[in-house]
Amino acid sequence: MNLISGIKLYIEKMCSESGPGMKIILLDKDTTSIISMAFSQSDMLQREVYLFERIDSGRSNERLKYLKCIVFIRPTKQNIQLLANELRNPKYSAYFIYFSNIIPRTDIKYLAECDESESVREVKELYADYLCVNPNLFSLNISNCMTRLNWLPDALTRSVQGITSVLLSLKLNPVIRYRAGSQASQLLAKLVYDQTTKESTLFDFRSNADGTAPPLLLILDRRDDPVTPLLHQWTYQAMVHELLTIRNNRVDLSERANVPKDFRELVLSGDQDDFYGKNMYANYGEIGSTIKQLMEEFQRKAHDQKKVESIADMKNFIETYPQFKKMSGTVQKHLCVIGELSTLTNKRNLFEVSELEQEIACKAEHSAQLQRIKKLIADERISIDDAIKLVALYALRYERHANCDTSGLLQIIKTRGGRTQIVPSLIEYAGTHVRQGDLFNMVRITDAVKLTRNLIKGLKGVENVFTQHTPLLKETLEDVFKGRELDPIYPAINSELVPFRRPPQEVVVFIVGGVTYEEALSVHQLNNAGYKVILGGTTIHNSESFINEVLMATDGVQFKHTKSMVRYCSSDNL
Amino acid sequence: MSTNPFDSDDDQDTTSCEILEGFLCPICREDLKSIDFLTDHFSRAHAEEEDALKSVFKDIFTKAKKKILNNLNDDRGTSSYSGGSSSATRGGNGEQRNPNNARTRMNVYNFMGKQTVGAECSHFEYFQSVRNPRLERYASETNKLIIRLHRLLKDLPTDAMQRKQHEQQTVAWLDGSSVKLCPDCAKSFHIARRQHHCRLCGGIMCNDCSKFLPLENAMQLASLSSTRSDPIQQVQHDQLGGVRLCHHCLWLLDTRQDMHESRTCRPMLVQVYDQIRQLQKEVMPDLDMYMKIVNSLYEGDSIFTIADASALRGKIGQTAEAIDVRSKRIMAIHSEPGSREEALKKAVRLCCIQTIKERMLSLPPLPDEAQIRQIQERKRMETEQRIQTEQRMAMEAFERYGLGNAATTTAVIDSGSFAQGSDLQSLNNWSAPQTAANVRVDDPLVEQINIIKGYIKQARQEMNFEVVETLEINLRELQREVYERQRRSQNALTPEAEA
Repeated sequence: MNLISGIKLYIEKMCSESGPGMKIILLDKDTTSIISMAFSQSDMLQREVYLFERIDSGRSNERLKYLKCIVFIRPTKQNIQLLANELRNPKYSAYFIYFSNIIPRTDIKYLAECDESESVREVKELYADYLCVNPNLFSLNISNCMTRLNWLPDALTRSVQGITSVLLSLKLNPVIRYRAGSQASQLLAKLVYDQTTKESTLFDFRSNADGTAPPLLLILDRRDDPVTPLLHQWTYQAMVHELLTIRNNRVDLSERANVPKDFRELVLSGDQDDFYGKNMYANYGEIGSTIKQLMEEFQRKAHDQKKVESIADMKNFIETYPQFKKMSGTVQKHLCVIGELSTLTNKRNLFEVSELEQEIACKAEHSAQLQRIKKLIADERISIDDAIKLVALYALRYERHANCDTSGLLQIIKTRGGRTQIVPSLIEYAGTHVRQGDLFNMVRITDAVKLTRNLIKGLKGVENVFTQHTPLLKETLEDVFKGRELDPIYPAINSELVPFRRPPQEVVVFIVGGVTYEEALSVHQLNNAGYKVILGGTTIHNSESFINEVLMATDGVQFKHTKSMVRYCSSDNL
Repeated sequence: MSTNPFDSDDDQDTTSCEILEGFLCPICREDLKSIDFLTDHFSRAHAEEEDALKSVFKDIFTKAKKKILNNLNDDRGTSSYSGGSSSATRGGNGEQRNPNNARTRMNVYNFMGKQTVGAECSHFEYFQSVRNPRLERYASETNKLIIRLHRLLKDLPTDAMQRKQHEQQTVAWLDGSSVKLCPDCAKSFHIARRQHHCRLCGGIMCNDCSKFLPLENAMQLASLSSTRSDPIQQVQHDQLGGVRLCHHCLWLLDTRQDMHESRTCRPMLVQVYDQIRQLQKEVMPDLDMYMKIVNSLYEGDSIFTIADASALRGKIGQTAEAIDVRSKRIMAIHSEPGSREEALKKAVRLCCIQTIKERMLSLPPLPDEAQIRQIQERKRMETEQRIQTEQRMAMEAFERYGLGNAATTTAVIDSGSFAQGSDLQSLNNWSAPQTAANVRVDDPLVEQINIIKGYIKQARQEMNFEVVETLEINLRELQREVYERQRRSQNALTPEAEA
């Protein structure tokens, strides 16, 4: 169960099926990102793919009849139309067409009718329809999936397709469970189920022929755990995303001062960059010392190389040159990133902020925490965004507390000119009313208990005050693997597949509303412990993108649960 | 254990081209119906044929290996058993999931760690079922047009009137009297807009809707060479501007030409590129071989020499050079600046440079003579030590049987040079004084050794290092054998011969 090899195998298949010869690959916007997550350009060159072209933009009319064309697109209406035009007037000698998902037969027929010069050699579905970020983490790059707390239709379709393709590329025919009471996850579960039954021949993997429990697809809702995306992160990958934002494994540093020209845009891919692969789950402190070690090693080497005296030395130098350059490139790159991180950490007083965040998340000490928050958010050295996040965490934590003083805190934010509407929106999005459920949904109470337990979990056994918090997901997955009764909280949609009380071997988790790198870390830890878990979500959030999503999702909703904050709800005070 | 009958019938089935099922005897291919019968039959009928069996197995194993490797791409569940395990399993006898067959188990294990390509679904059959009937219709239509074109152009009269007649004879023109409007643009015909006819289907259209197929192309399509036609005719045709056609006929012909072009299009770029690929393909085994040689040198093996490695390195360097030159030649081919072709050329060049840099120039350096000698010395010391301990044990035996120390010491020296040498010298060294000891110079083994040495020399010259390797190994075995025999004949009573 490795998502990156899943995609790689598919792309390699495309390249090999088209046989030898020079090739061009015709992509759309999404498939371009999908490929770029798994392969670098030079990888593609090695596979004789020399040109990349976007089907939807910037096309030239140049005919290169000696090229073979690999078409890898998503099966959207627009793409089909563009491809039909291409086939009517082919620019390349042969076309090998691969769709990243299930395509209706009528579309195939339409394309067949357009292929009048017999240039199509293959038409296939290869289910590489998700962005593989880590071997166990995928994203669909849907930055907003909800409007008025309901699915955006496009986002829903894309999510169904994304999950389907993950299942197919890993050859899983799972039991589908969803978070009870969450309409979004229930709807998604139903549509995925419909897809698997409609395409039952595709999903016929005979996985449970030998008596093992079938795999599990668990569809969760971000609204159950709004805390994780708000916290500041200290592991490398998560931290880079929180502070610098990773998009499709790329970090854009062009806006930062003092960044060397070569490092304006950095690729962070554990697959291609050994150092990153080894250290993406390491925390800030560890990575600092690792880099230092690497640098010393490198300096030693570089120093050695300076002593080029004889011709033989020079020859040796040239011979080791590629590795030399590769190594120096990686070290410099990560040094540059770490440098940026450390600047930001100091500038924003992140150690102080993070410590308080963690305490709010993990310990119940209302009055003491309130005082500290008040002090911190009034401090001008603390950035307004961090201040709002602190207030938001407080509001989520003490929403039902007798002396809850969210209004007072919001007043301070308001005087500092911050966007106060974030906090009420967040409560509407994921307040206790969502997490607890109503009369008809008593099960939610048990879950609320669980969340509290999670929040209350003390300092026991935790050495680092900055990483006390463990996401709710970890506990959920532990329950799954312990074989706990799942039906009340996570009912199955296709219960005929459910084995009698046997924990599944493989689990795919999908979180509606986005995942975080902190959760990816938990999944990584579980996988290291021998379980098989894949995590995915509509997108990968940092606090900023999460807050944006919350604002979009709650835009236009009548606020029912935040009457006390009504003064701060409008966005006029920006 | 290669004499296990179950192992054997596994492999037997998978390798023979016609698939036999059941409990087959690997030698006579008789179906014995059950394990017991088979074992019984085997022990009775083939007990003394063990050697023959071994050679059969050798053959089978290599075949089976290939077969199994081929199966690697198949689905995990099926191939792991169908590839390696016996057909008896398939025959419904479940107990025959052979635990002895280590190779099968290993394959299953490999599969566990390796991820296979995900699900896929091909629509090409359906696509073809829609496309091909259409294409066939077009194809027959186009063929008809081409035959007509051929007839039309074959001996086209120069005179205008005659030509018209010839054209009408070839293709009957539609009667235009009742046609009032151009069927294409629906404008009415009159003095200024006269009726015209498609020369290939005879259809009617106005001048604006007519298309013209340049004569050059027409000749090409009709597979007539235009060089033969006389120059005056050419001029006239040029005035004519080609053959007048309707939209549809021209489209059919164009499509045909297009397809033809895309199938036969091989510009300079492609030719040079193919050469590059060929070179790259050829150099791959050399690269692997080089790595192997270098490793073996560092290990202190003496199968290969430094000269081998540097020769191979030179060859690789030459290939790299050749690739570089060709990729530069690609860059030199003219193309529009800013065009896709230009980008393509750059990408090809980039790829070549990358390959050369990463695969061919970053080869690990060779150890120099001194280093090699050091490594070999160390290895020899180790071997010597090992042998000495063995000898020490043997010594006691020698002394017991009153044999001199002299024989032992020679043996030590011999084994030393044996570890190092691949040359005849080492053989002569110890074969000469021992001729007295019942070994004749015309020993077939020694002869064999000399022949193999000749082969090795030849293979080295041809840089066929794989052959060198196998031959060297064979040579070692032979030398060892000779050495063993001599030792045995010398110390006939020494129990511990080197295994």
